Amino acid sequence: MATVVPLAEAVAELVRDGDSVAMEGFTHLIPYAAGHEIIRQGRRDLTLIRMTPDLVYDQLIGMGCARRLVFSWGGNPGVGSLHRFRDAVQNRWPAPLEIEEHSHAGIANAYVAGASGLPFAVLRGYRGTDLPSRTANIRPITCPFTGEELTAVPAINPDVAIVHAQRADRSGNVQLWGITGVQKEAVLAARRSLVTVEEIVEELEPRPGAVVLPGWAITRVSAAPGGSHPSYSAGYSVRDNAFYQAWDEISRDRETFLAWMGDHVLDRSATASEAGR
Amino acid sequence: MSTTGTGPDTGPMGAGAPGAAAGAGTGAAGTDATRAEVCVVACAEAWRGDGEILAAAMGTCSILGARLARLTFEPGLLTTDGGALLTAEPVPIGAPAGPVEGWMPFRDHLWLVQNGRRHVMMGASQIDRYGNTNISAVGDWARPKSQLLGVRGAPGNTICNPTSYWIPRHSTRVFVPRVDVVSGVGHDRAAELGGRASRFHGLRRVVTDLGVFDFGTPDGSMRLVSVHPGVEVEQVVAATGFDLVIDGDVPQTRWPTDGELRLIRERLDPKGLRDTEVRP
Repeated sequence: MATVVPLAEAVAELVRDGDSVAMEGFTHLIPYAAGHEIIRQGRRDLTLIRMTPDLVYDQLIGMGCARRLVFSWGGNPGVGSLHRFRDAVQNRWPAPLEIEEHSHAGIANAYVAGASGLPFAVLRGYRGTDLPSRTANIRPITCPFTGEELTAVPAINPDVAIVHAQRADRSGNVQLWGITGVQKEAVLAARRSLVTVEEIVEELEPRPGAVVLPGWAITRVSAAPGGSHPSYSAGYSVRDNAFYQAWDEISRDRETFLAWMGDHVLDRSATASEAGR
Repeated sequence: MSTTGTGPDTGPMGAGAPGAAAGAGTGAAGTDATRAEVCVVACAEAWRGDGEILAAAMGTCSILGARLARLTFEPGLLTTDGGALLTAEPVPIGAPAGPVEGWMPFRDHLWLVQNGRRHVMMGASQIDRYGNTNISAVGDWARPKSQLLGVRGAPGNTICNPTSYWIPRHSTRVFVPRVDVVSGVGHDRAAELGGRASRFHGLRRVVTDLGVFDFGTPDGSMRLVSVHPGVEVEQVVAATGFDLVIDGDVPQTRWPTDGELRLIRERLDPKGLRDTEVRP
């Protein structure tokens, strides 16, 4: 059963140097508060996994937490590039970043394989592209029934999956809704998991279309109201589009980026007030 | 499935007589249309004949094209709010979904991709004569000069779905002899894979700010289908870093009809975002 603990305690316990960490979320419910806590705790050499890395991974990469990124698209949604990500790949600042590039479906299906306890996922895509030449993690496989040559990718079983959701009850059962990405797949595939939530409630009311992650499949739950800012949590907050645009400028220059991270993430008193907005 | 130019999407463009208003309903041709508006209609034509499939679009003119096609000659298309919602009616670009016809969270979207009932119009940072495309990295892949956004859905899209491309700025930086990383599969690579792997591969058309292109050639290399009004063939050739197939006289891309122009200007894009993507 998941236990409900403060965020700093959950991150200290679950995320270790060198871990593979999948912080999922799609359009909304992106676990910024947890990402910032990882940065504050100074984790290093992480393998970051996510289908669609955005600003929180840009921040983790720029702060030197990551050694490797497994992804299918990395950008500032609706704005452009991730400058810290690009600087790491192109100029190895602040540290070299290895990348393992997949298609969206490749990552999603690799999580499903991981959650299913299977060693690999099968796809029709990848063939004909240059991706298989770049990683040993994309390999041909022959269908035993039809003889068709397909592609296999190994299951992803992150050391830790971290997602943000709207609600949890005191037993650690989690409910999330709105546009869903592959949060469920990532949590079920992971060895350990942390879910940050907008609020802890006495009882979860059923909602059509909501995803429920049972407490027995989760390690820790932490309350982090506003913890998806600048993305949003449907029903709780709206997307801070101005911040995504501002990030383009903040992140373009190394010094400006470091100063911003110092003021807004590393300084805990500042973050406490930010969370309230 | 033959997708190299004999499909239903080549008809209207092939007709190509200037101002013919081919197949787009009523009204005289809107010869006061901006280049962006011509591009929107040329993008819309990519989905002609597709029926009840998801029209997935990236880029302003492409998104407007999908919604315009649904409002005019291709009413069965499924279109989105730009996110995960299937809208009951095509909505203005950037507007909330309004009444929702269905949900398309990521897992379901990926199932749809693998099922193939989706025609996607993507962007490309580089494209070669066979339609291999790159959205991954420019330069040496191990240490790129420019790390791009990543291959996203391209490896699956191009092998599982009909695929078109919308390229708002046609130049030799994009139209290159050889792409640095193949993230979307072109005709030469699909042919190498053989029938079983390439049976769902289908590059329909490429629309740029200068013209319309397809792959209706014996070896599946890119052909100039039409040039937009005001564009010379030589201009297209000069902006393309490989030899295009050019069959005889190249027709002009059709003008939008008055009805289409009204839909674009008054209903789908009243703020004129299209003109920021392709400048008048």
